Amino acid sequence: MSDTPIDRVAKATPPSVASKIRGLSDRTIAWLFVAPSIFLLLAVNIFPLIWTINLSFTNYKANRPNREVDFIGLRNYERILTDSDIWLTMQATAHFLFWTIFLQVLIGFALAWLINRKFKGNDLWTTLIVLPMMLSPAVVGNFWTFLYQPQIGLFNYAVSFLTGIDPSSFEMIGDVALAPWAIVIVDTWMWTPFVMLICLAGLRSIPDYIYEAAEIDRASKWRQFWTITVPMVLPFLMLAVLFRGIENFKMFDLVVQLTGGGPGSITELTSINLKREAFEKWRTGYASAYAIILFVTVFGLASIYVKALNKVKER
Amino acid sequence: MAEVRISNLSKAFGETVAVDDVTMSVPNGAFVTLLGPTGAGKTSILRLIAGLEKPDQGDVVIGGRSVVNETPAQRNVAMVFQQYSLYPHLSVRDNLAFPLKSPLLKTPTVEIERKVAEVAEVLRISHKLNNKATALSGGEMQRVSIGRALVRDPSIYLMDEPLSSLDAKLRSDLRIELKRVQANLGATLLYVTHDQIEAMTMATHVGVLDHGKLVQFGPPREIYESPVNLYVAGRLGQPRINVLPADMFAGAPTGAKTIGLRPENISQGEGKSSKVKRVEHLGDQIRLHLKLDGHDIITLSESRDTFEPGDMVAIQPRNPLFFDASGARIA
Repeated sequence: MSDTPIDRVAKATPPSVASKIRGLSDRTIAWLFVAPSIFLLLAVNIFPLIWTINLSFTNYKANRPNREVDFIGLRNYERILTDSDIWLTMQATAHFLFWTIFLQVLIGFALAWLINRKFKGNDLWTTLIVLPMMLSPAVVGNFWTFLYQPQIGLFNYAVSFLTGIDPSSFEMIGDVALAPWAIVIVDTWMWTPFVMLICLAGLRSIPDYIYEAAEIDRASKWRQFWTITVPMVLPFLMLAVLFRGIENFKMFDLVVQLTGGGPGSITELTSINLKREAFEKWRTGYASAYAIILFVTVFGLASIYVKALNKVKER
Repeated sequence: MAEVRISNLSKAFGETVAVDDVTMSVPNGAFVTLLGPTGAGKTSILRLIAGLEKPDQGDVVIGGRSVVNETPAQRNVAMVFQQYSLYPHLSVRDNLAFPLKSPLLKTPTVEIERKVAEVAEVLRISHKLNNKATALSGGEMQRVSIGRALVRDPSIYLMDEPLSSLDAKLRSDLRIELKRVQANLGATLLYVTHDQIEAMTMATHVGVLDHGKLVQFGPPREIYESPVNLYVAGRLGQPRINVLPADMFAGAPTGAKTIGLRPENISQGEGKSSKVKRVEHLGDQIRLHLKLDGHDIITLSESRDTFEPGDMVAIQPRNPLFFDASGARIA
């Protein structure tokens, strides 16, 4: 008699259960195992998506459930794409996305590169640098409003300390010109460690002997950096950009806590704008169309990007 | 190509002394092999010459110039690493061209193309030039990394067990190939191995290392025929030299503790009677495992006669080596 774990399980199965299972094919058993996940996926992902598409062609308002719902075709889409306010929101989002990713990649890679040098206490430094990432975005948003305070805020104090500008002469959150940068700074502060960690994983994956070989092949440090370090970390870096891009496209909590979309609607990113349309103005049909447009945009951009990523990996 | 000399070279990693006061020279155009087991300090010597490690003391002289304070790039050495240290994101062609693209050299593109093609031809990887470095078999990868050294014109080629990870067939092919390339180029080559066959077949000189110390240095035949001590005698020869108490046979000089008998140095037909324990037919030779006074002895059968386990064979030494109590050779 064999005594593998599976045999022991078979022996321990009560006869009544065993007789029920015995008649089932492997395929049926496989389906039984997968079914709960598929059901959950359908219930919370696929069905709402289809329902949203359905709603996006109507003038449905969720706060007036008894009102008659009219099918209005593509009118919601038309109105959204010609709405200049929404284009401003898109611009704010693009600004936020571009600068957060740019700064996080730049600083994150630089930090990873520095941490990767073998020096004493680099583990401690890694832990310290990673701390912001572990906080709740709402908490981060909240305490940065204090840091940005013109009178008592540490941020304004630090800026004045470094540049000599009067700390109470500028308001990061209240100023139309500065507020878009205020959210970029906080997001960068919070999420640069994440990019750093991914870059660090990339850097650590490059074996020492490759650098030694390059050293012997008389490549300068500069050339080693551009022909070995950068190309070999690039797939990791692109992955980090993908993660940050998707995350920041749907940025909500941090910015709501920090600026609430203001002053005016200058930091009103698409997801905040969408939330207003859906749950403050209760234009459910309109907001559904809006959500679908965003979904298609992100989906399209992400697919193009993943294709590029795979190409880089194959190289 | 240049002569490379190292004098009184020492290097310790923490408590472990990797290289212990080694002095030797690699003549211009010579193929020198460093032989020793793992941890004998072979690789460390290569890395010290390459400039990847700084010596604790001693000097490295390449072409009459002390290079001990220079970077690997300034020393102009080429090295083949034990692992296939290819640039994984580059094609085979770009891997081979990498050293030539050094700004120090300013090699024209046409010249790079020509050299890469030439080396690829020699190593029989021309058809793989456009492959990615990672899309190669182990043997091909190692040939590419040897090729990356060969495209250059360095003072010395340093090779760290380049064939150890290859299969037997490829290893013997590349062994011949490498020797041919070295002879054609008149290259100075320092080659590290723990494989005595590589050491014996390719080298003009062999250095035997033991715990960081250079025990003996000379032509392979000299090392084989007149080893300075038991350790060196044991490093070369397959099957290994038989080491027996000196008083087992008559004629031992005074002070001799042990007698070293290579399998071919045992004549059969006369002398002490020993019992055949096992017979190995290797095709070209027949190995006899004998038992004499409780000692195991391996020898080669001198006749094509088949022995059976249990047979008795009379044996006596022929040109034996004698060693004293410390292991040093005395006759």
